[in-house]
Amino acid sequence: MKKDINTKEKITRQDAIKRIGNYGKYSVLTALGTYLILNPKTSQAQSVPENPSRGF
Amino acid sequence: MNTPLLLKTIEDKTIVWFSGTDNYLVLEPMMAEILQDMANDVPLQKISEALAKQIDIPFNEASDFVNNACLNLFLPNTEQPENTSEFFDLEQPLHYSIKKHYRIDDKYFEVSYKDEFEAYLIHPKLSHLETDNDNTTNFSFQIYTKGNRTFLFDNTEFIGVWDRKNIHYMQGKFSMKLVEKLHNKPEDEWLGVFHASGVSNGKKSMLFLGDSGNGKSTSLALLQANGFTCLADDFVPMAADNRHIYSFPSGISIKKNSLTTLLPLYPELEDSAEFHFKTLNKIVRFLKPNNTDHKANLPCKDLVFITYDKTKSIDLQCNKISKIDAFQKLIPDSWVSKHHNNVTVFLEWFSQLNAYELTYSDNQKMITTVQNLFDNDL
Repeated sequence: MKKDINTKEKITRQDAIKRIGNYGKYSVLTALGTYLILNPKTSQAQSVPENPSRGF
Repeated sequence: MNTPLLLKTIEDKTIVWFSGTDNYLVLEPMMAEILQDMANDVPLQKISEALAKQIDIPFNEASDFVNNACLNLFLPNTEQPENTSEFFDLEQPLHYSIKKHYRIDDKYFEVSYKDEFEAYLIHPKLSHLETDNDNTTNFSFQIYTKGNRTFLFDNTEFIGVWDRKNIHYMQGKFSMKLVEKLHNKPEDEWLGVFHASGVSNGKKSMLFLGDSGNGKSTSLALLQANGFTCLADDFVPMAADNRHIYSFPSGISIKKNSLTTLLPLYPELEDSAEFHFKTLNKIVRFLKPNNTDHKANLPCKDLVFITYDKTKSIDLQCNKISKIDAFQKLIPDSWVSKHHNNVTVFLEWFSQLNAYELTYSDNQKMITTVQNLFDNDL
């Protein structure tokens, strides 16, 4: 798996923005129902998630 | 008493933490109050009536909104996660082929690695702490892999087991245990661990954060060579009682493409061991951090999101950013304690922080700017 695990776990601002429903003309409700959801790491983690292969 | 959620208003938003899911939500304050009412068992009808009145909309619209909020926001975040337990054979191997001893100030750590696989996960960043003294051991750890899962023991105590794709959590847990022993504080006395660099000027500390590949560790190496102290790189622990950053003595990981910049300052990098991280396609060397007092711990009131501009179109730019923007950048990369008291302390600490964004290609200007930040003289 070549994907950087840190990149995978990060939430971009776009991904983090959520909305509760669609309230059309009641823009105040749309605004009220807009939120960001952020998930911290479930446990402590190192940022380099792979073991090196030589040089030890 | 454990409440299902905690609130903290910062700038024009309210942050709500849910204990059930450990999620942090950034909401309009009025929305946060609605969720608080739900947590206090206020009937949805009553919440809807109040909302309709407050923003002058028909009751039906308010009720629809509140029901949606309950269904999609409140309930999913207040469900307790399932406890899945799995049985593991915890018999340790008879023989560990690699045993290393590390000295951090007056504390001696012995780590037994089953094979090179386990050793490569931990040893490179601690290699500068290795000692020949194997007579004194204050703490010992054992790491082995069985059936594609890696086990960590703290002496005879089983700490955890991780599969290959979650191996970075094993590394993180090992680092956490090291920090606990080094500073004599168990896990519940820590506020959080940040994926950052912890830098000090001897009087206070700052967190330097940035995406991988944006120059954070190189910036740290430059700062270290210019009068600052590296308290921790990549794994920065903060204590709950005093909100101080404490040391984590890991080497600073330096990528190959930073060598040109750093070799004049650190000629020892020329001959230092190289480690190839295949999956991430990067080659790193580890630079010894300059902290000589691992008991040092200092207050932190500033976050700096630092980026090296590879295009060199920005000499230096440093702006204050909103705390909410900073919060959004900080949380996904951080472990924050889930104890209610600690979350309260964390949110209070965060509400008092200054947050900056620093982009640079001129090293000297970066160092001067950081000096000014430390001196409150930006």
